[in-house]
Amino acid sequence: MFERVRKKKVKGLHIIIVGCGKVGVTLVERLVQEDHDITVVDKDGDKVEGLTNRHDIYGITGNGASFNTLMEAGIEEADILIAVTGSDELNLLCCVVAKQAGQCDVIARVRTPDYSEEAAYLKAKLELAMIINPELEAAREIARILYLPTSIGVSSFARGQAEMVRIKVPKGNMLHGKKIVELSQELSGAVLICAVERGSDVFIPDGSFELAEGDVVTFVSPARDAKSFLKKIGFQTHQVKDVMIIGGGRSAYYLAKQLLRVGIAVKIIEQDKTRSEELCALLPRAVVINGDGTDADVLKEAGIEEVESFVALTGIDEENILLTLHASDVSDAKVVTKINRTMFNKVVRHLGLGSVVYPKYITTEALIAFVRAKNASKNSNIETMVHLFDNRVEAIEFVVGEGTGVTNIPLSRLRLKSHLLVACINRAGRVLIPGGSDEIKVGDSVIIVTTHTGFDDVQDILR
Amino acid sequence: MNRRMVVFILGWILKLEAVFLLLPLLVGLLYREFTGCLCFLITIAVCGLAGLLMARKKPVNTVFYMKEGCAATALGWVLLSITGALPFYLSREIPSFTDALFETISGFTTTGASILPEVESLSHGMLFWRSFTHWLGGMGVLVFLLAVIKMTGGSHMNLMRAESPGPSVGKLVPKVKHTAAILYKIYLFLTVVQIVLLLVGGMPVFDAVTTAFGTAGTGGFGIKNDSMAGYSPYIQWITTVFMLLFGVNFNMYFLLLLKKWKTALRMEEVRGYFLVVLAATGIILANAYDASMGFFGNLRHVAFQVASIITTTGFSTVDFDLWPEASRMVLVMLMFIGACAGSTGGGVKVSRFIVLIKSVRRELNSYIYPKSVKKINVDGRPVEHEVIRGINVYFITFILIFSFSVLCLSFEGKGMVTSFTAVAATVNNIGPGLELVGPTQNFGGFTPLSKYVLMFDMLAGRLELFPLLLLFYPPCLKGLLGIGRRGKERKV
Repeated sequence: MFERVRKKKVKGLHIIIVGCGKVGVTLVERLVQEDHDITVVDKDGDKVEGLTNRHDIYGITGNGASFNTLMEAGIEEADILIAVTGSDELNLLCCVVAKQAGQCDVIARVRTPDYSEEAAYLKAKLELAMIINPELEAAREIARILYLPTSIGVSSFARGQAEMVRIKVPKGNMLHGKKIVELSQELSGAVLICAVERGSDVFIPDGSFELAEGDVVTFVSPARDAKSFLKKIGFQTHQVKDVMIIGGGRSAYYLAKQLLRVGIAVKIIEQDKTRSEELCALLPRAVVINGDGTDADVLKEAGIEEVESFVALTGIDEENILLTLHASDVSDAKVVTKINRTMFNKVVRHLGLGSVVYPKYITTEALIAFVRAKNASKNSNIETMVHLFDNRVEAIEFVVGEGTGVTNIPLSRLRLKSHLLVACINRAGRVLIPGGSDEIKVGDSVIIVTTHTGFDDVQDILR
Repeated sequence: MNRRMVVFILGWILKLEAVFLLLPLLVGLLYREFTGCLCFLITIAVCGLAGLLMARKKPVNTVFYMKEGCAATALGWVLLSITGALPFYLSREIPSFTDALFETISGFTTTGASILPEVESLSHGMLFWRSFTHWLGGMGVLVFLLAVIKMTGGSHMNLMRAESPGPSVGKLVPKVKHTAAILYKIYLFLTVVQIVLLLVGGMPVFDAVTTAFGTAGTGGFGIKNDSMAGYSPYIQWITTVFMLLFGVNFNMYFLLLLKKWKTALRMEEVRGYFLVVLAATGIILANAYDASMGFFGNLRHVAFQVASIITTTGFSTVDFDLWPEASRMVLVMLMFIGACAGSTGGGVKVSRFIVLIKSVRRELNSYIYPKSVKKINVDGRPVEHEVIRGINVYFITFILIFSFSVLCLSFEGKGMVTSFTAVAATVNNIGPGLELVGPTQNFGGFTPLSKYVLMFDMLAGRLELFPLLLLFYPPCLKGLLGIGRRGKERKV
């Protein structure tokens, strides 16, 4: 617990987090690790008390949208305010007040479709630095998985130009026993395997690394090449034809809307009559079934045995887990589970649920990327950040500016840290998988995959 | 119970003490007291080695809760006192180990009760160390530890909570480390200002530094046999003012630093504290007026004694044991009130009394309107029920420990006033009591058993009872000794 103070390039930022709900707590947990000064504000004194007892942060009980409370939280010296209470309106009001009272960057969580469709307008007019919508982000991630159902998860980088795909090597697959060097010779450099999880260990593989059955492999490739690679190694690559969604909440709406647009048939099972009618009006092309999604008969009647994919999006984690286990049992549909609580993710991993989506993680990743970018020097900027394998691996996309010391030198001659890969270089919209002779140029964005944590500057990749 | 972590923290405390001991060593060298220096060197070696050994490896599991925080604090203070007593004992300047331990505990707990019939024969190094323990104990050694060493995880707030006085210990800024650093900076600044002002008054450097240490920690070890009586009125006034300043809640200074004047000056506790000081001074002035000294002479002595007792410092300029009964009674009451929470002073604390008095009013109110709902407010904020409950329990526990200690001491047959005030002066960390333990007397006349009871009282008073009591509570004791079921080893 005691460590001598490490020299730090920039001192910790002063961050105010309003709302100690699920996202607020996760944010605190992650930001505390990155050594920032954090003040939390919530109306519920017990929540504040509990959180301040567990973490080295300051807590204030009060209404985060009130000027006096914000002053007490030190809004004048704050660098960032993040409003993540349960209410969109309160979050927005809080940001507006904070913007007037201090000079900080403000970030609001806005989840209601009514507002989120106007997110760009709100962001510009209210001068917000960022609007986060966990449900929408979760829906996007689920959609990406359904487009490529043989994968466990897909993340998008370089404005969608590059994709990072996680797959599990099945029994008898051609990848078994292959060395990475052999693989890249056969495939002529279109993909790069950047992280492998075997049992409880995570590797950043080098050329001599040998793949095996049961490994969870993460690879990066230009978006259009991912499918051809999967085809080559014997995976099915067509997107699903139809999907059954259990629970008609906000993420279900966002997901259905997105899937319908690309022609995937959507069936939503929603318990609440009024909500079903609402959904029906909002999504005229979807089949909305008003019934209890946890009733096996209802599922059977809705055709769970024939459906190609199955997404559990109810508000209760336990239900979602049981539903996907049931779905895997009665059909061979691709199943996706949404889980809110991250506390038990070790247990969840052992259940073999396949693709699991944690909306909280997606949101915090985006926010951490923002905070780190703010903390970094001006000549490098974080575009995207994704955590893999329970936060043990970070994939960060940096935009490289001038004077960073990494440009115009062949990668093989850069003194890179160990357990680190330059996975992908995006130059003016063209994505290339770099080899040893490639160089990083000013203006590129590069994806770094590493087991080190806390990088906020592209220079951190050097020893 | 995370025992490795407790041992690790104890190791760090010892390492820190080894560093702190360099200062008296330096003083000893300056005055060419080589026997004393040798004793300091031996102690430094012992502390340093033990510390390095105990804090050799950072435990894998660094999580610790309130119980570990309290256990580490209480054990840390005991360890600190035992090793801190070594120089006195080794140098034979205090030949009995019990006496040396009593003197050191009295120093660290900022009590200032001495077993020495006369102090002027001690060497400079020892006198310096004796006063320096006050300065360290005043703000707390663990708070210092928190200020200089980076800790990861949030649980170390429990250390600060266990060591800092007050019903609800909070932070000033988000990080414990910064909070502790701010507190120590304010503390150091005030101490330096006092030293400078004392030097301006013509006090010798050694006297000025040790007096400032005694004042800052609200300790009260003097380096003269007649405490502060021999110094000029200017020096006595400066000491009076600074005693009062160190008895103020340090949150007020932080608010002043932030230029939040209004909030700072409206703190109910600070107001109440000064009100009590004024009232007590007024009563004693009227009751114990000595025409031979003139009004200002009287005022000086009365103000000095009142400040000294309410802040639980324990310096004296006159033998207040000779004052009329009512005046002595006022002083005894001041002993129990004590200074503000979040200051370096001891006692029950003004804020606890404010809440207690307000609960009496609420209780009376509930007789008139049995169904009325009323919250107790301090500084315009409602006080949590848990805090009020804590204060009530604290008060009862305080009375229990107090009564039990008085009973133990009464077997010596030194008279009710002596036994009563001896306990009051130690459990409230003041120093001198009345009659046989009065300002011109000392605690040397007690039997070793009584001395140990008083040592326990001093530690209990400084750590606000519960951290020390927890050490004797079977479930905690079992955890510390490693008896009972262990949790599953955590995989890392």
